[in-house]
Amino acid sequence: MKLPKVRELSEAVKALLSKPYTSKFPKKPHQPYHNFRGQPIYNQEKCVGCLACEEVCPVEAIAHEDQVDPANPMRIMIHYTDTCIFCGSCEAACIADNEGIKLSTEWDLAFFDRKASQETIEKELQLCEICGQPIACKDHLKWIAEKIGELTYSSPTLYLTRLKSLGIVDENLISASRDYGRSDRVKILCARCRRESTLSTSTK
Amino acid sequence: MAKSVIPIGPYHPLQEEPEFFTLTVDGETVVDIDVNIGYNHRGIEKLSELKTFDQSTFVIERICGICSTSHPFAYTRAVEDIIPVEVPERAKYIRTTIAEGERVHSHLLWLGLAGHFLGYNTVYMWVWKLREEILDVMEILSGNRNNYAIFKPGGVRRDFNPDDIPLALRKIDSIVPTLNKLKKAIIDDPVLHARLKGIGILTREDALDYCALGPTSRASGVAKDVRKDAPYGAYDQVDWDMIVTQNGDVFEKVVVRVLEVFESIKIMKQCLMNLPPGEIDLNIKNIPPGEGIGAHEAPRGETFHYVRSDGTNRPARHKVRAPTFMNLPTCKSTVIGETISDATIILASVDPCYCCTERMAVRTSEGKRIYGGQDLIRLSQEKTQRIRRKMGIK
Repeated sequence: MKLPKVRELSEAVKALLSKPYTSKFPKKPHQPYHNFRGQPIYNQEKCVGCLACEEVCPVEAIAHEDQVDPANPMRIMIHYTDTCIFCGSCEAACIADNEGIKLSTEWDLAFFDRKASQETIEKELQLCEICGQPIACKDHLKWIAEKIGELTYSSPTLYLTRLKSLGIVDENLISASRDYGRSDRVKILCARCRRESTLSTSTK
Repeated sequence: MAKSVIPIGPYHPLQEEPEFFTLTVDGETVVDIDVNIGYNHRGIEKLSELKTFDQSTFVIERICGICSTSHPFAYTRAVEDIIPVEVPERAKYIRTTIAEGERVHSHLLWLGLAGHFLGYNTVYMWVWKLREEILDVMEILSGNRNNYAIFKPGGVRRDFNPDDIPLALRKIDSIVPTLNKLKKAIIDDPVLHARLKGIGILTREDALDYCALGPTSRASGVAKDVRKDAPYGAYDQVDWDMIVTQNGDVFEKVVVRVLEVFESIKIMKQCLMNLPPGEIDLNIKNIPPGEGIGAHEAPRGETFHYVRSDGTNRPARHKVRAPTFMNLPTCKSTVIGETISDATIILASVDPCYCCTERMAVRTSEGKRIYGGQDLIRLSQEKTQRIRRKMGIK
């Protein structure tokens, strides 16, 4: 008669008493490790809307849409989760101390509606006072002003934004109508209008 | 008796080199084999030329799901060769750790599949369970199980968190006893000896003639390993041995891979324990015009990348040569004269991605009969069963 092998017997007893290797998935969702690279999430407070993340993204999973409506100019930052490869380039390139967009440990990203895969935040946009084209997000201009300190006062675009945000200049102040003259220089301008106003010979 | 032709291929959905084997068989014996590649043009090299040097790393990483370290490693070395620069010490250690982790999981994956082809589904299940632990280690260290996104020209993207290293070391240690048991079970198994020894022999001369690479050549007694021949990363600063065996049959290839797993674990542990402090990235801003080459010993052999820069922020030319390209033609010397049931494991022994067998059909002069990948595996498993019965093992 063939005797049962002791090693196999002990293995069987052990297997009977130990808990299963697999986890009860829907009941107990998998807990990833804390530095797992999952869904990147925008931080509405920290993000300055500078588009550095869009520039570095290798799969073009980040896009933006500028709403040039004089009453409520907005830049919508869009992150497409379905295209994202979770590489973390956006986080590494973020100028706001890498906190404007941050990878989370969120991994259960399945969706039924493709629209649900888009993550958006809205940032207030600064328009040129002459031509009405977007210059940058207000937070971005404030961020630059803070970074360069007193040098801010060499650029009316920057110092007016800063003074408005500090409440020193009335935020609703609307400058006089466009004239493309020298007096236009003390306005919040885009690069093109600034050049034109600088080259202007009009003394209005 | 009329000769039949068995085409295997040609479309291969996963690997970078779709392959098409034409097996000419006389009864059970393979009398001729032909390999065709190039059916699936993915345009990876062109895509890489359309991205910046930094972004290309992610495209390159996706050439192969299993070699997601090897290609970026060779690519970043090629870009660094253009400038040329030495990456910081800490970055070298991090790169080496990730590269060896990949080798462990790649070899374990292959071992599991080889077990499955031979009808050893227990090996398959056990090995893939062990592989999970290594993938967990990679997740702890890099943030993902595959596609580690850690390589960057001039350094690495993410640093290892010192708090995670003890956990990673514990996890690596936890698989060693089981691996040891598995090593004994595989190397001492009489059925595997009977099944794998002496089949698919790649002689030393043939290995040299076909320029075989990696474990395929090392099993044939050719001591060829980029990590030893031209050390890079931290390979010259850690203690490890090159595994070389002499016979070149399928069994030796299994042995080389199993033993290499232990060497890789040794390297990983040494790197994690002696991680030097300091910078991890050189923050390279500009790549000057020029050419660079980079090589890395991938799990399957030497991966080679050539990058030419014209001074812009994109590669002007990028060429990739993957190891399977060199290893596949060795089937001319290994498969001929063997039976179809052995062809499965011999073709698998160079470690190509084996999904190609899913698209296999038998054409005979009398009529059509379809052989799928499942049939090939069944043939291979039946042969193992026959050997077992002959040896009186149930």
